[in-house]
Amino acid sequence: MPATASGGARPEEAAAAPSASASAASCMGTRPEELTARLAASGPSPVAGCGGSGAGVGAGGEAAEHERVLVLREIKNQIIGNRTKKLLYLRLGAVPAVVAALAEPGSSPAALVQAAAAAGSFSCGVDDGARAVLAAGAVGHLTRLLAHPDEKVVDASARALRMIYQSKLAPKFDVNNGKNMDFVLSLLNSENENVTELAATIISHSCENSSEQLSLCSAGVPQKLVSLFGGSMNLRDACLDSVTAVIRNNREVASRFASTDHGKGFRSVVGLIHDRSPRTRLLACLCLIALGHASPCHFQDKQIKTKLIMVLLELMEEPDHVGDEAPLALTTLIKDSLELQKQALTTNAVEKLSNHLLANSLETKRAVTILLALSELCSKLEESRSQLMSAEVSTLILEALKHDWADIRVAACSCLKNISRSPKVLSGGRLSCDTVIGPLVQLLYDSSTSVQVAALGAICNIAVNLTPRKSVLLHSGVVSQLVHLSKSMDPTLRLKSVWALRNIMFLLSPKDKDFIVKELTLSTLSSLICDSEHFVQEQTLALVHNLVDGYVESANYVIGEDGMVIDAIARQLNNASALGVCIQGMFVLANIAAGNEMNKEAVMNVLLPHRPDRIKPSFVVNFLQSKDKQLRVATLWCLLNLIYPKCEASSGRVIRLQTAGVIQQVKSMINDPCLDCKLRVRMLLEHCVDNADDCFM
Amino acid sequence: MFLSRIVLRDLDSIDSPASMASSKKVVTRDEWERKLRDVKIRKEDMNRLVMNFLVTEGFVDAADKFRIESGTQPEIDLATITDRMEVKKAVQSGNVQEAIEKINDLNPTILDTNPQLYFHLQQQKLIELIRAGKISEALEFAQEELAPRGEENQTFLEEIEKTVALLVFEDVKNCPYGELLDVSQRLKTASEVNAAILTSQSHEKDPKLPSLLKMLLWTQNQLDEKVAYPRIDDFATAELKDPSI
Repeated sequence: MPATASGGARPEEAAAAPSASASAASCMGTRPEELTARLAASGPSPVAGCGGSGAGVGAGGEAAEHERVLVLREIKNQIIGNRTKKLLYLRLGAVPAVVAALAEPGSSPAALVQAAAAAGSFSCGVDDGARAVLAAGAVGHLTRLLAHPDEKVVDASARALRMIYQSKLAPKFDVNNGKNMDFVLSLLNSENENVTELAATIISHSCENSSEQLSLCSAGVPQKLVSLFGGSMNLRDACLDSVTAVIRNNREVASRFASTDHGKGFRSVVGLIHDRSPRTRLLACLCLIALGHASPCHFQDKQIKTKLIMVLLELMEEPDHVGDEAPLALTTLIKDSLELQKQALTTNAVEKLSNHLLANSLETKRAVTILLALSELCSKLEESRSQLMSAEVSTLILEALKHDWADIRVAACSCLKNISRSPKVLSGGRLSCDTVIGPLVQLLYDSSTSVQVAALGAICNIAVNLTPRKSVLLHSGVVSQLVHLSKSMDPTLRLKSVWALRNIMFLLSPKDKDFIVKELTLSTLSSLICDSEHFVQEQTLALVHNLVDGYVESANYVIGEDGMVIDAIARQLNNASALGVCIQGMFVLANIAAGNEMNKEAVMNVLLPHRPDRIKPSFVVNFLQSKDKQLRVATLWCLLNLIYPKCEASSGRVIRLQTAGVIQQVKSMINDPCLDCKLRVRMLLEHCVDNADDCFM
Repeated sequence: MFLSRIVLRDLDSIDSPASMASSKKVVTRDEWERKLRDVKIRKEDMNRLVMNFLVTEGFVDAADKFRIESGTQPEIDLATITDRMEVKKAVQSGNVQEAIEKINDLNPTILDTNPQLYFHLQQQKLIELIRAGKISEALEFAQEELAPRGEENQTFLEEIEKTVALLVFEDVKNCPYGELLDVSQRLKTASEVNAAILTSQSHEKDPKLPSLLKMLLWTQNQLDEKVAYPRIDDFATAELKDPSI
């Protein structure tokens, strides 16, 4: 046995192989540096010097080719499965040399097989590797080699291409190009299963938009894929995945698939949800879920849906990837569907998921996906929520809040968020106690933004709590951290923290409201109203709305202090911001207008400012003409409050509104399609008349 | 699937009268055998079951003879069994690097898509170095090849720690993690390799026969609670034992 530099046994011929092309640089070592040098030395250029490639490869050329096969095989064996080695060879620049072996017309089948395998491996699991393989032009060479006479070369090339197309970095294969479509079809019709599997992988990877999906559908690809279900297990799985990719989110393709050949393809997929292979069962479920989402009318069979739920619950018990993904598939299936969530509840889904969670470690991807599925089950159904609040599981969820792993913390927060949608659980006060609030508030300081966002979601809901226990939340230090987060660079954090403050503010005592405003400060409040994101603006105005609601004195915060806050509101309303912003802004003004004379005047100045250059008509008229009835109602309420009660000042305001054309607009709304609007319009006009009487008679 | 369905159907037909009676219903041997005779099992199905077992377990010669004798076609090319058995044998005899190279020749995507299997092979390689007393080589290998895997995965890290601990003990066979040096560890790794190759060949990794036997045992246990009948206690002979009354 030859002595080896490192890493155990080597093929014996490695040391024995003579290297004709060996220059001074070449040596027999098998360390990555040495192998890279050997590969470069055995490449086409040095060979051309001594023997020349092409037809007349002499003994020296043969030996060089032998050396190259050995080197390529050794590199392949070192990198497969080994990320560190892949990165090392990348740094040494080995990838172009490997791909060059694929490009050369004189390469032997043995060299092509080894080079293809190495190229495929480089593109697996390491993004830089995939980038290098693509940049070296491997896809073109490998594709050409699919027509090689040697079956082993075809197998190796197809496998390598499959690895490459599994990387998200691989370019999309444009199936809208006729030639490309013909190529994919020819691959699908191949006798070689490695090649048909490659075709399925290319389809899954390449069909993203609906025009690609339609082209594939028109070319009969889904039917072809279904016909391949009869092949080997791996091919069938690849084809199932492709069918899913072709129909996903595409109503037309999905409905064509479901109805072609009297639904033969559809029935084939349904048959596979009972396949022996767990992976196939999962993929068949995913395919049907995609079909149901893309074209609900073609998938109404309640029985099949119930079966899907049961199959997925069973699959959760499978090891590895399948068991991890099954709860996610279940989540997708039942998302937003009350009917399916009820269905899931009748199959004891909450119990089964909880039991699995209780019986196994939290330290797994499966625990995360199960928690997310449980969370979804609690998004609508009261009964699921109360089941999940059973002593054991709720303890586990609290434990998950403190877990080291961020994904678990996020999933646990998501559960709490959906459980706390229940007024019953909230008013029972089971979530607004220190044991829940404490860890949740702690998560607001988390280093992971997604955890912070998830915790904010739960706090938002718990904060709606109407019972006196709200003080637990208030005095947990939550307010100062929420204020801190409302100044974050991350817009989602700003949104959710303001949202939480808004919900805490809801129906709070004046003393507690004062406390929050003091923490928040009026200047922060004004800048949040003018935030760069309209959804933050909207929540902030909703927060102000809750502040002034039922607490007349608080209007001073808005109109006092040099009118910082009301100026910000005026700016947003005049800028014709997003609809939600306008609605909330008008509600704030309506609430303030319900106050004393000073308040009414402040609002009046927002609606109709005393400006010398009053060219622009007031936004109020625009709002009254809005298609959105909520905005019309809010605006009408504001106007109503401004001219109520009957007094001299009110009459003055009526005149101002009249001059600005507002009253004219209101009159035209006498038959507003929205009943609420209609009623306010009539009230408003009555008041106008009353005030006018006062004034003019 | 075939056998189990039959057994369960029998269970159904016996179940209902038995549950009505307060004591166990007794089925005599004659009655039982008559029932068994009524169940028609196709010879080809039995043969396929046997072939499936031989192929999955890798008895290539036996599978070939059985093919000739019974005319049953194996589910996969028998040549691939030979390759698979060579890999398995390499692991069982401690030639891990040879096994890795053979796997990569068979299908280079197996180890790239099975990080856990790749890790276990690397771990086995370390175990073999320790067994051979190549301490400095073992340390170098652990540092260069295994340590990066441990950084990627917490479970791997714990496994590495256990394996490296072998280096600390003088009497490794009797140290806490001595079982890693046991032949059973090689068999464990070898069977993991076997399963991965089978999966890559679109073949189920477990033979059907053992699970059918398990199902039979389970069914008998269920039945025991309700009926006294001739049981099969010895699966090797499948002899019916008279019911004890």
